Amino acid sequence: MRKRAFRLLPVLVLLAGVTAIRATMAAALPDSVSGDQVATNPSTLGRQIFAEGELRHNSNYEDFEVSLRMILKSPSGRETLRDLRIRQLEVPDAGDKVLVVFDKPANIRGTALLTHTHITREDDQWLFLPALKRTKKIAQRNKSGPFVGSEFSYEDLAVPELDKYDYRYLREDQLEGHPVHVVERRSRDEYSGYAREVFWIDQDNYTWLKVEYFDKDDGKAIKVLHLSNYQSYGEQRRKPHLMAMHNLESGKSTELHWDQYLFSRGFSADRDFSVSSLRRAR
Amino acid sequence: MRARFVIPFVLLIFLSGSVRAEKLVFGSFRSSENAHNWAQKLSTLFATDIEVTSTGPADRLWFRVHTGELDTRTKLALQRRADAGGISYWTLHEHSPQDLAGSRVTRPQRLTPPAGQVAPAAQQETPAEAAPVFEEQVPRGEPEAPMAERATPESQDRSSHDIEWDLGLQSRSFAETGVQGQDQFEGSVSVELEYYRGWQDDKHSVTFSPFLRVDSADSRRTHADMRELFYSRVGENWDLHVGARRVFWGVTEFHHLVDIINQTDLIENIDGEDKLGQPMVQLTLVRDWGILDFYLMSGFRERTFPGSDGRIRHPVRIDSDADYASSDEEMQIDGAIRWSHHIGPVEFGLHHFSGTSRDPELRFVGDPGDLRLRPFYHVIDQTGLDAQAFYGDWAFKIEGFTRSGLSDRYAAANVGFERTLVGFLGTRADVGLVVEYMFDERGDEAFNTLFENDIAIGTRFQFNDFADTEALLGVIFDADTDEYIVSLEASRRLTDSWALNLEGRVFAGGRGLRRNTPLGMLVDPDYKSAWLQRDDYLQLEIKKFF
Repeated sequence: MRKRAFRLLPVLVLLAGVTAIRATMAAALPDSVSGDQVATNPSTLGRQIFAEGELRHNSNYEDFEVSLRMILKSPSGRETLRDLRIRQLEVPDAGDKVLVVFDKPANIRGTALLTHTHITREDDQWLFLPALKRTKKIAQRNKSGPFVGSEFSYEDLAVPELDKYDYRYLREDQLEGHPVHVVERRSRDEYSGYAREVFWIDQDNYTWLKVEYFDKDDGKAIKVLHLSNYQSYGEQRRKPHLMAMHNLESGKSTELHWDQYLFSRGFSADRDFSVSSLRRAR
Repeated sequence: MRARFVIPFVLLIFLSGSVRAEKLVFGSFRSSENAHNWAQKLSTLFATDIEVTSTGPADRLWFRVHTGELDTRTKLALQRRADAGGISYWTLHEHSPQDLAGSRVTRPQRLTPPAGQVAPAAQQETPAEAAPVFEEQVPRGEPEAPMAERATPESQDRSSHDIEWDLGLQSRSFAETGVQGQDQFEGSVSVELEYYRGWQDDKHSVTFSPFLRVDSADSRRTHADMRELFYSRVGENWDLHVGARRVFWGVTEFHHLVDIINQTDLIENIDGEDKLGQPMVQLTLVRDWGILDFYLMSGFRERTFPGSDGRIRHPVRIDSDADYASSDEEMQIDGAIRWSHHIGPVEFGLHHFSGTSRDPELRFVGDPGDLRLRPFYHVIDQTGLDAQAFYGDWAFKIEGFTRSGLSDRYAAANVGFERTLVGFLGTRADVGLVVEYMFDERGDEAFNTLFENDIAIGTRFQFNDFADTEALLGVIFDADTDEYIVSLEASRRLTDSWALNLEGRVFAGGRGLRRNTPLGMLVDPDYKSAWLQRDDYLQLEIKKFF
């Protein structure tokens, strides 16, 4: 039985070493299992692929902190940068909480953005303006707008709760000679700026390699995102360390260079992610 | 335990030990078809892989429906969802091999849609880009270095410190000379520093932020202030701050009505957004039902006013001494409490303040030859509200209070809305429209505000460009007297460390001061902006950040 082969094979080749395992498996295993064991509906299948990626790379943490350099490039080669730090806390059965603090450029230093993600309803978002010491709730309609002048919109950087989208499996394909699943995702949010997003997802490990964004109004492809430099942080934590967004219309691009993630920071929802904590975010 | 699990287990014990794996089993079926149907339903419901494995002797096979190996966290999440859906399950414990690097040995089952079921839209996609954009891509198939050891929490004893400062060069140009012949130009230099030091993972910290301005024309505008100097202790769901701080309350844009904790540094700017540091003890409690702030304040700060050579001022000289209703004068202890919370689209704060009012009544003192206005600070009790609600791209705002302690209890309120248009006319810019109405029950008797029955309309432009260019253009219009104030505030960054701020105001529509009589200098309460009519100005500030 095929199932049995799945289980036995790794054991037999383990002693030969990791490299040998991968080579052997690739040669010996069929590319797919029979279709009746998996969902056959394109929307269910698309969702499963996202869920699988989420489970494998994004589910085994409680909190993390990461620094990030954002490089904004104009078609003429002009560059400007923003340095920011992101802290994130996973709240079981509720949405994640995310705090973004800006270090550069200097005139927006100390500006902080707090997001309470919700699984079923609109997120709550507050901006802290250090000059006035003012905490300002911001309208969620802004999500399709650019994030601090970059080619990323707020929604591109939002925590992708599975239930906020509909999915459709499009096809198997190759990206730079590597097998990928191509899956379409549509936001259920009426304020999303996109008609749809198309993801190229690595068939081996379910990481996102490329995303194309289609405009809500005219349906044209407007942006392309490439994700690379994936690093694993133990089981079920795998993060891209370079994300480059190209605007197909303006020729501008934004690169996100992620520093090392620091997990298990011991953050707490009340101490580090309450609206009052925003006043002392740094 | 079946043999195929025993063999790897025994082998691996000598290599790397073992990890106990758990699976959730959602039932076993005699019929393969039933098992697969159930598996498919569950995989849709849980959005995760559900497998079917056959078990038992060949003539009496069972088909077991179960998950893959689960970690505790995922398992708990699935159990919770199964419980919620009334789906029964049991836990199967197995010992499974893990390789030395900690990644999975078993190749993940590849999901492939059966032929013919692939969505027909596939051809619409633009072809994959020819080349990757980056040179640094990690080669595929290489085993990755285990990074788990970097993920350990750092010591809980981290300390941090941070010092930043900025230097501002400001010029103010006025359209006319002042009522008393003051200059049309003033230049100034300002420095603001912020020093922060935190201990024990920032649970304890000290913040120190002094400010200094040196002005070419007005000796009173040459002034220094301790914007902030405080110690903070951060607990699990509480904060304690001791020292001079700045605190902002409110939601409206044009007039900050309920913002009472700090005194206004009026000599900096008449918009009321520059504040003096207020010595206080502040305790913040974070609860499920909102945030409670308690304030105890003493060391009252008097409002700053321009000197005789300064602009944007009352024609009668403001005395440098002040009178207080409280016998403790500036050492009177003020208290305040604020409860704030957000429920769905609504965010609100309720407050009570008891103590010396921040806005003084200006009383005439001295004889006709040496007439002066002396600030008098009443003791008041203020109970108020600030709230806003979001519906789509609309935000509705209200601020209001009722105040006692002056003569009669009175109420004042600001109400308004803001509408944000993202990607205005197909550009990257966001445009916000702000409309606010300002009301004070006392009408003309409202000595401590310019806005007793006024409408403000403003447009905010956020260009979302590299330089973060922003502009706010507004008009405040007095419904009774036709006086109006036009204001423009704009800012953009020049380089990463230089920024430019522009500000302009035009005071118009009202009646100027009646001249030539001493009493003509006194302001007609109907035309409160009369003394501002010659003070139209344009202010440019360039700031360097260090």
